[in-house]
Amino acid sequence: MTADALGTLPDADVVRLAQQGREPAYRELVRRYERPVFSLVYRMVRDREVAEDLAQDTFVKVLNHIDRYSPEFKFSSWLFKIANNVAIDHLRRRRLDTVSIDGAPDATSASEVEASTIQLASEQESPLDELASRELGSAIERAIGALRPQYRACIMLRHVEGRSYEEIAATLDLPLGTVKTYIHRARHELRRALEGVRA
Amino acid sequence: MTSRHLRPDEFDLLLDHEEGFGVAPLRRHVEACADCRQELAAMEAVVAALDTLPDLAPSAGFANRVMAEVPVFEPWHAALSRSVTPLVPATRWAQLAAGMAAAVGLGGVTAGATWVLARADMAVLLAQFGVDRLRGELQAGGASLVSAALGQGGEAALRGASPEEIALWVGGGVAVAGMAVVGLRSLVSAPSRR
Repeated sequence: MTADALGTLPDADVVRLAQQGREPAYRELVRRYERPVFSLVYRMVRDREVAEDLAQDTFVKVLNHIDRYSPEFKFSSWLFKIANNVAIDHLRRRRLDTVSIDGAPDATSASEVEASTIQLASEQESPLDELASRELGSAIERAIGALRPQYRACIMLRHVEGRSYEEIAATLDLPLGTVKTYIHRARHELRRALEGVRA
Repeated sequence: MTSRHLRPDEFDLLLDHEEGFGVAPLRRHVEACADCRQELAAMEAVVAALDTLPDLAPSAGFANRVMAEVPVFEPWHAALSRSVTPLVPATRWAQLAAGMAAAVGLGGVTAGATWVLARADMAVLLAQFGVDRLRGELQAGGASLVSAALGQGGEAALRGASPEEIALWVGGGVAVAGMAVVGLRSLVSAPSRR
């Protein structure tokens, strides 16, 4: 089957061909979803190089376990779930790797806590964040970068990927009510951030 | 029309373009209420900005980097199916005929297997008959060989010998013949000495 013919098939059929060991089907799945997955991960971690590695990890995990895919779920939901988990895991690891700004955990007195607390000069972005924001461009991208990762994933899936609330809940393993709350809060935070830009 | 300002979740209903029983009164309220209209417009601007966000592309060669880490295996049943598929005739009638022939063949094999299982005694009898016949042929061939090599006396001795003695004679003969072959080959292939 040619790549053109593969391009017209629905996801479920392409996945079935991949399960039969057809390499072009694997490549078709990558072609279809490399941009959405990379976009989601990039906007989550805000570092192009890291995002490429994480998006690659996502596809490798998914394609190496393609035989475990169950067709009762949408392939894209499964893929986004893994992409989100990979990005969240990375953000957790990165947070563990950074120094606590709340003072040393073994401090026994208020003065020790104060002495070991790092004072941030301002809430401005670091040079790396600034670089990412330049690449990500607009004010809305910068505002998205300031959201909590869980809000970011929900808002990306809702508005960039056009997923329904139910699909997002299934993808992120969250209750439907939580997804609605996250999207509502994210929209309000974005609105406040954009008001600041316009003012 | 509702007389109070809209709650946040009600704004979300309008932003998501929900169409339901309770949405029409909300719309009518927004039309009449300047505060809610302004709030909705601000939220719609955010949603519009989100909806126009582009998908970002990874660097060139991304798919190749992914595929370099994905070994592709073809399961046996898929390989079998792929091998059989080209043998399927193209036309519908030929497919039908091939299917009929395959069904008849499969039926014949099944009937044969069933008969063998049902009449196991007959199968054993036939097998025994075949083994006896083979043994007779081997004995006749061996006798003529012994007669040619050792003469009538050898053949008579062979006929009078027990099966164990015959086995020993044959085994000994094969061993002697083997040693002779090996010895001759070593003589032929040995380098000449000066």
